[in-house]
Order: sequence, then structure tokens, then C-alpha cells
Amino acid sequence: MIKVAQISKSYQRKLVLDNVSLEVPKGQIFGLLGPNGAGKTTLIRMLNQMLRPDAGSIYFDGQLLQASHLQQIGYLPEERGLYKSMGVRAHLLFLAQLRGLTKQDAAQNVDHWLTHFEIQDWQNKRIATLSKGMAQKVQFIAALVHQPQLLILDEPLSGFDPLNVELIMNEIKALKEKGTTIILSTHNMKSVDEICDHAALLHQGKLLAQDAVLHLRQAHAKGRVFVRFKGNMLSFANALWTDFTLLEQKERTEGVFECILQIRGTSTVNDLMRSLQANVEVQHLELLLPSMQEVFVDLITQKETQDV
Amino acid sequence: MSKFLLLTKREIQERLGQKGFWYMLVLGPLVLLLLLVAILKAADEGKQELKVLIADPGQIMAHRLMAQDEKNIHYYFIDDYLEMQEFEQAKAYQEFDVLLELNEKVLNNKKCFVFYRDQLGLDARMQLKFQVEKRMEELIASQHSTLTEQAFRQIKQGFVFDFRDLQDPKNESKEANAWAGFVIGAFILFFVGLYGMTIFRATVREKNNRIVEVLLASVRPQQLMLSKITGIGLVALLQLLGWAVVLSIGLLFLEQTVFLDVFDPSNWGEAAPQRLNPLSSLVFEQLNLPFLLLHFILFFAASFLFYGSLFAVLGARSSADADGQQFLLPLIFMVAFGIFAGIYAIYYPNTTLTEVLTYLPFSSPVLAFITLAKGATVVGYTTTMLSLLILLGAALLLLKLAGRWYKQHILKF
Repeated sequence: MIKVAQISKSYQRKLVLDNVSLEVPKGQIFGLLGPNGAGKTTLIRMLNQMLRPDAGSIYFDGQLLQASHLQQIGYLPEERGLYKSMGVRAHLLFLAQLRGLTKQDAAQNVDHWLTHFEIQDWQNKRIATLSKGMAQKVQFIAALVHQPQLLILDEPLSGFDPLNVELIMNEIKALKEKGTTIILSTHNMKSVDEICDHAALLHQGKLLAQDAVLHLRQAHAKGRVFVRFKGNMLSFANALWTDFTLLEQKERTEGVFECILQIRGTSTVNDLMRSLQANVEVQHLELLLPSMQEVFVDLITQKETQDV
Repeated sequence: MSKFLLLTKREIQERLGQKGFWYMLVLGPLVLLLLLVAILKAADEGKQELKVLIADPGQIMAHRLMAQDEKNIHYYFIDDYLEMQEFEQAKAYQEFDVLLELNEKVLNNKKCFVFYRDQLGLDARMQLKFQVEKRMEELIASQHSTLTEQAFRQIKQGFVFDFRDLQDPKNESKEANAWAGFVIGAFILFFVGLYGMTIFRATVREKNNRIVEVLLASVRPQQLMLSKITGIGLVALLQLLGWAVVLSIGLLFLEQTVFLDVFDPSNWGEAAPQRLNPLSSLVFEQLNLPFLLLHFILFFAASFLFYGSLFAVLGARSSADADGQQFLLPLIFMVAFGIFAGIYAIYYPNTTLTEVLTYLPFSSPVLAFITLAKGATVVGYTTTMLSLLILLGAALLLLKLAGRWYKQHILKF
């Protein structure tokens, strides 16, 4: 859907993006991750054609990104605002028309989304009278009212209460089901674990990693294994020998234990299976993957260690 | 509808939705009309009606002061001393406003006292002083020479230097018209400044509440800036036209009511040529208001584009209202410069500097209206149109440059 090819951008001699290349697959949720100042907002602004790269190109559906593509892009900025003096419906109609919809189509879409979010009663309210959460919902609708193919969400969950976070998460998933490609820039790693298919990590203007979320987590797996078995704990411990370290243990029911192990050296999960089978009855065994939070910290730490 | 029109429409709707706009539309011209009535009335009543009692025990003045009576100051004589307290309290003297006390030695010591009930205006003081002095001179001359009173008055008669422009020998382009033109030109700059501030504040607000980030995902920064200037400019123009309508109705109403007597030919009598005081005459007769209104719109539009783009850039450059204030100062100086240039041009109409100021976009609106209000000649009108073209060209150039600056700064939070 989106291909970013060797993009660079500087502000007053400060390199903000340094030869960044990445691809956002169509119909997927793509997590754009990175600490503050990594260059995410700059990249997002380029995707929205607010900024031009100093070098490199951006492609939208195989074509060089141009103004006409903006109608197919929805954008929810991190720091977003609305005209406080306007009514909710009037504001949504205005933004929908700015995105290229006709007045009729805009009205139809606005009514659909107001109904969908069950906020029809707000339509004549002035934005100034809305609570922060209510305004956030209106902003979310504004980003997708023109049914974009690509939806760019910069910290979409900030400012929402837990109930509305759930609502927005479900909505993002539903949009994906309908074929919308979503770029999600967030610091909320739980949401990345939960809904992102792909992710890219930017750090100090450079791309540190980019892959499917599962691959990233697998690549950063620390060799920890979850085991549930029936049998004697002493026999289980004896079976581990020196190749595996017992990190945590818990008796779930009588004679049934759950443990977390750390694989050491060159041992594998198969080695563990073989050792355990002779001593206990293994009910469940799973290689534990790190969360995206851990992957994130891991990658940044590695990079900073290298730099030092 | 194009994005530019959408943005412009929104700007207009926002301003028209504000109560302040409608209050200003009605109250602004009403205040102006009241001010005008006050000025016209003041001009009519500028001359204080006075009854002056001259206590002349030596009968030095021989019951005579002026060859002809003054219209507003009437003199009465008594041939005796009159005490201040008596003048103040006695019933017989209550009709007099002023007591002028001349003692017998006045021709030697040249001192007299003037007692008044109400404060005397400067004009009245000068008039009184001038007339008494003149009479004293006549009396001194008659004591020390053989000159007749008439001969002495002829000698004292001052020369009248009537300055006439070769290109305007009938002195039609009066200075009062020039000042009226100056006021109109200054009014343009005032309105441009007023609504320029609206552009500035609206830009700062959009930047501060971050709506600009949402908008710029759909439109180009230059488009956003131009639509803001156009929208607010049209609202300003709408208000100006509203003012023109309310003022026209108001002037018509004043003509039919408050100033009915001065417009009624039956009241003119022998004083027909001076039936209006100079200000009334200027407002109601000498200024070609429809002609000036048309040019007002043209100059206003060009000036608004010129200054509006600068206000927009300053708004984009500022991160908060307070932060932006310092950047506004140079712009306010520019507006003030335009106004001072107008004053300079009235006093020194034919200098090289005035010629330069005529074409300079910062000052040309004021100078153009000074020329137009005086009743422009072909040369003058051509000059004015050329200055309008230069102003418009400068505005377009500035818009282009401002668009770039606006783009550079609007996303820097």
C-alpha cells in the first residue's frame, strides 16, 4: 500500500530522518514505533504531504504519492484540534468536504458514523461544550468519515477512558476487516501486541527494525518456556539438569504444576521435551515470546550500546 | 465546492456567527454619526454669544468700539465705575456675561480687567482682546497725531495674502477636503489593522489548538492562508458596506431632522452661500461620496491583501498570542507610518518625498484619498491609479512570499 524509499529529511541541519525505507502492506495494521523524537511525526507528515522529503520517494499503491491521493488517506494527528465554535455535524461535514466528498456524500457518511457511535444527539452541540473524550470521538470520526483506504492514527488512544479505548480498538480492527490499511503510531505497546500485524521501529531518525509483529517477537525471544505438567516436582527439577533454569513455579491443582524455564546454552525445546517425558506427564509446553514492549526496549538498548 | 471556497465560507460563517460583528455593524456607524453630529454642532456653536458690559468712567471709548457690530459679541457701556461684587450680584447686571473695566489711565498703563461669569473660550478671549486693543490704538493715534480715525484704520488694515495654486486658481481643492481624504485613508488602515489582528489571532488559535494539522492534511498552507485572508477580508468589507449603508441612512436622517434648517432654502436668505458651516458643507456637499466609496473598496481590498498576508505570517510565526505581540509592533509602526505620511503630504504636497510616499504601498492608501478627496485632476487620478496598481502588485508578491513563510512556520509548535 505504502512504500517509503530511502527517505531523508533535515530541519536546520539536524537530520530527522536518515535514509528510511519501509513498506506498509495493504489491509494490515502497521505499528509505527519509536521513542519521542525518533522521526515518526515527520514521516507521518510526509505521508500526508505536509512536508516534502529532502531525498527519497513515497509510493501510494505503486504510484508516486501525490495530492490526489490525499482523498484516500485519513489522518488523526496526535495533537488534534477542532473549531470550538462549530457544531459537531457541521464540523464533520466541513472536514469531509475538505477531503473531497460531495455535500450529499459527506452528509450521508457523517450521519452513518454519528449513528454508528451512537452520538446522533450531539450533532448540533458546539464543539466547545463537548468533554475531551467526546471531542476525541468526533476527531476519530473526522479521520475516517471519507472512507479512506489508508488511515494514519497518531496516538489514537490518548485521552480516552478504558471503555472508549476498547471501543476504538474494536473499531480499528473492524476497519481492518473491511480492508482499510492502518498505520498506528503509538507508545501503547499493549495495543501493538493486540492489533498490529506489522511494525517498524524508528530511533533517532533511523529504521532499527521492520517486520511482522510475530517475527519481531520471535526474533527477540529469550528462550523462556512455559510448562504445565502432572507429576512430582522433584522429578521435574531433576530432569532439567544444568541445561534449563527454573524461573518460576506454581502448583495449579494437586499434582499439577505450572513453571517457567529458561533454556541455557545450546539446548533446544526438543531437548527439554525429551528430558521431561521420561519423568513427568507434560500437559502443555509453549515457547514464551517477548511483548512488543520488551522488543522495543531490547532494540533501543542494543542500538544505544552499539553507539557507545 | 473547491477547498478554497469551503475554507473561505467557514471563515465568513464563523465571523458572521459572532455577536460582536453585528454589534459593531450597528454601533460602529451610530457612534460615528453621534461624533459627526457633535462635531457639526460644535462647529456651529463654536462662537460664544456674549454680552459685554464696558465700565468706562472716563468715557474714553465714547460708547464706541467697532465700526460694525460683531455677530456674537455685543458691547454695552456705562459711564461709571462698577464694583465686581455689584456686577456679580445686582439684578440689573445679570444679563451681562462679561464686565470689562477701563479706568481713566488705561491709555497710559494699558491694563484693564475682564470679569466673567462663565469660562471664556479662547476664540472669545482673542476677539475681545483684539477689538479693545484696536480701539485703544485708534484713541492713542488720535492723541498723538493728526490722523483721522478712518486714515488710521486704513493704515492698520492688514494685507491679505491669498495663496493660489496655478493648477487650481479657484482654490477648489481645499485643505479641508484633503483632511477629509486623510481621514478616509486612515480609516482604511484602521480597518485593515483591526481585521488584520483578526487574521493574526485566528491563525494563532488554529495553530495553538492544532486544528491546523488536520486542515493541512487536506489543503496546502498557502491555500489555508489565502482563504483566511479572503474570508476575513470579505467580512471586513461586508461590515464596511454595512457601515456605509447605516451611515448613509443616518446622514439622510440627520439631513431631514437635525440639520433640517440648514438645508431648507427658505432659511437661507441672504446668507445662502454660507448656509452650511464648513464641516457640514464638506460632508454634505463637497465630497463625492459614491466616487470615494468605490475607490475605498478598491484600496481597501489591495491594502487588506498586502497587510493581511503579513499578519498571517506573524500568526504562523507565533506560538501564543502573547508571544506574537512583539512581532506585531513593527507592523503597527508600518500602519502608523502610513498615517503620518498622510499628514506630511497635506503640509508638503509637492515634495519628492510626498511623491515617493504616493507610490509606497504602506502609505499609498492614505495619500490616494487625499488626492481623490480634493477632486483629482487627470494627472492626479492617473497617479492614484498607478499607486493602486503598485499596491496590488506588492500585495500579490507579498502573498507569494508570505505563503512560503507561513508554510515554514505553521507546523512549528
